Amino acid sequence: MLPAMLPRQPVLDPAAAYPRITGLRDALDSGDWPACRAVLDAADPVERTELTMIAFAEPGLETFLRGVLDGDPGDGAAAALLGQHLIGAAWRIRTSARSEQVSPERLAAFTDGLVTAERLLVDAAARSPHDPAIWTARLITARGLRLGLSEAHRRYARLAEIDPHHLPGQWQFLQQLCPKSGGDWARAHAFARETADAAPRGSFGPVLVAEAHLEHWLESGLRYLATDQVRAELHEAARRSVWHADFRHTHGWVRVVSTFAMAFALLDDRPAADSLFTELGDLGSERPWDYLGEPGSVIVKYRKRAAGGGT
Amino acid sequence: MRRLEVDGIPAVLAPVTGPAHAGLVFRVGTADEPLARRGITRLVEHLVTDGLSAAGRTSWTTGPEHTYFHVQGSPAEITDFLTGVCEALRNPPVARLATVRDLVQGAQPERDPLPMWRHGARGFGVVSYPEWALPGLTAEHLRDWIARYFTKENAALWVAGDEVPAGLRLDLPAGERQPPPSVATTLPVTPAWFTGGVGWDTVIARSPSAAVFANVLERRVRRDLRDLTTQTRTEYVPRADGTARILTIAEPLPEEPEAAHGGLVDVLASMRAGRIDPDEVAAVVKLTCEGLRDSESRGARLPGQAFNLLAGRDLQPLEEALAEVRAVTAADVARVAGEAYDAGLLMTPPGSTAEWAGYTAAPAMSETMPAGRVHRGRRDPSRRLISGAEGIGVTGRGVVAAVRWDSCAALLAWPDGGRHLIGEDAVTVRVEPTLYRNADRVVREVDARIPERLRIEMPARDRDRIPRPEPAPRDGVARRYAAAILCGVLALFFVSGGVWILTQLLAGPGTGNPRGEDLLALGGSVVFGVLFGRYSWAITRELGSRRG
Repeated sequence: MLPAMLPRQPVLDPAAAYPRITGLRDALDSGDWPACRAVLDAADPVERTELTMIAFAEPGLETFLRGVLDGDPGDGAAAALLGQHLIGAAWRIRTSARSEQVSPERLAAFTDGLVTAERLLVDAAARSPHDPAIWTARLITARGLRLGLSEAHRRYARLAEIDPHHLPGQWQFLQQLCPKSGGDWARAHAFARETADAAPRGSFGPVLVAEAHLEHWLESGLRYLATDQVRAELHEAARRSVWHADFRHTHGWVRVVSTFAMAFALLDDRPAADSLFTELGDLGSERPWDYLGEPGSVIVKYRKRAAGGGT
Repeated sequence: MRRLEVDGIPAVLAPVTGPAHAGLVFRVGTADEPLARRGITRLVEHLVTDGLSAAGRTSWTTGPEHTYFHVQGSPAEITDFLTGVCEALRNPPVARLATVRDLVQGAQPERDPLPMWRHGARGFGVVSYPEWALPGLTAEHLRDWIARYFTKENAALWVAGDEVPAGLRLDLPAGERQPPPSVATTLPVTPAWFTGGVGWDTVIARSPSAAVFANVLERRVRRDLRDLTTQTRTEYVPRADGTARILTIAEPLPEEPEAAHGGLVDVLASMRAGRIDPDEVAAVVKLTCEGLRDSESRGARLPGQAFNLLAGRDLQPLEEALAEVRAVTAADVARVAGEAYDAGLLMTPPGSTAEWAGYTAAPAMSETMPAGRVHRGRRDPSRRLISGAEGIGVTGRGVVAAVRWDSCAALLAWPDGGRHLIGEDAVTVRVEPTLYRNADRVVREVDARIPERLRIEMPARDRDRIPRPEPAPRDGVARRYAAAILCGVLALFFVSGGVWILTQLLAGPGTGNPRGEDLLALGGSVVFGVLFGRYSWAITRELGSRRG
């Protein structure tokens, strides 16, 4: 028998989970830089980096941030925000398709956009060499501009010197280590495992193990994911992170839980997936569900199945 | 420190704590050599020292602007060596030329690619090229070179000791003091980049602040690139015209060229942004002052002072040099860092660029082609060799290279007819008669146009080193369009044939016997259908393999 009510649609807007986003958006909207800085300065380093990565679409944002930087070229927060804004714009031109499926014109415009961002970030890193948000942004430009694995590694090393557990940068570096960006699976999994091992219990870090397996699944299919070893690693990583008593709902937790939920959902490990969907409640994130299609409906489908309501 | 004169040659004398030594320097170096004489100074330097008594510790060096002969030992040993050098310059032992040439050719100096990109194939840029001219240099060439540069007026002496050795005679021919080499630059925009390895150089005004900047840069590069390189080297080279070259070269680990490149970009950007640690500047100033005092006591400041005499500068007492260095602040270094960055030339490892870091690609090709007669490539009509009244050029396969007849720095000529013209801007036009139609005519024109003094005869090439014509790589897009159109036409015939037969069948049973036209249409349709199928299959396979 079908439930009488419509399935709950997950709320994908990150502002629903993280109220500081609304504060930052309002401050950007009203062109109030001191207020923006107040929000960013109050955030912890990971949250601050995540905040710079939100795709703000305020009209005139680029002009506003360039004005801030003209006034104070050493403002790392403004540089990181502007850099990420330019990176986001470039990636929207490129789309997320594989590079051989993107037209040469789009690729050229994408590269131009990233070059503009990177030039700004080179100067920003020179002025604020200890700002993790800037090094996180430079990991994205290094990958998009194909500056090479060793250069990405150097940038990650600079970031890790500042914060060895900086998840936003670790997501980016993991992408670089995957074969699609010039790496290989051995390195990608090794990085994920090392990061997970080094991460404090109950922290977000072990999610990289799940992320690496999902990337591998995307290339190799379900048969890869369904091996006992992968299953065991996923459970172990979840125990160290989302299922640990010290796991906290700080900025970024929704994507971490969603990533584990998707991995377990694909494995059809319904109890594991269900526990995570329950933890998420109405909240959801675009990534990694967009690998499977339109995130809202995909989440509804898998959540229902995990709860025993579907096939 | 005293200034005096020995046999009409300006000299500087200073007492030292250690053993006495002395040097004779001439204002001539690689930057004075035309490309077609590249190596001649080094050959002179080796020829005149060949066979001199080995008493004392002697050495001789050719730099970009100066060539010197140095000896450490007793007054008699100093006298023997320097007097011997002067005698050999008056009467070069040309009978030994072939032997010495072999020696010099066997020990070619390490090549530095940056100057060519900054200065072209002339002046300071010549040092980037091999010493192609060595085998062809004659005794006459050497005598002319010596007469111009190794003269009394173009020399200076330094003596580190209590007095000038009593028997020292420097009997040199008279001549003229040579001005500093011209500093031509071919870079239209800086900061610029080119591909070659991991390194950077700049040319700025020489000053104590610039010297301190170079030392701070050296420390920063060494620290930041420590895990990515086997070694790094930073040099500050003052020049006679009042500028200084600062050079940084890194040898990256095999896996790390991109990271070493990225690390160098970041060091330069950081210094340009004014992130100069005052403590580091203070440390460098302190070390520099200690170095100056130590150099003074050993007489190691004397060569520089002798160079100053040749450039028409005054001697600089130690206290004055120390005061200048002590006055350098972090703000001075930051200002110099900005100037250095703006004039910079960055070398990137193969496969890397530096557009992303804000550098502009240094021009590697010509912007225009001379007007003239066109010789198309053999088997590849996209290649063109153009010979005209103004100059010569080649285009095709991604190359656009032109050299004006009046700005050719050197012509390399092979016995097989190959001719490479190197322009003063370092662009090379390769005239290979095997690659172009009727190119013998162009070879004759080149030989007639380029004066003998610019010509370098090259040794015969192995057969496999002579280029052979190859067909042009096919244009994939145009070919696919052509194939698609052909497929369309075939499909059209196939379908219309089918439609014709269908119409005839539907039009009526007729006689029941197929007419000749029907059979023709059927046959044609089948043939076109088969062809269509074949072509479509081929195209699909090709597209599939491209994606893969």
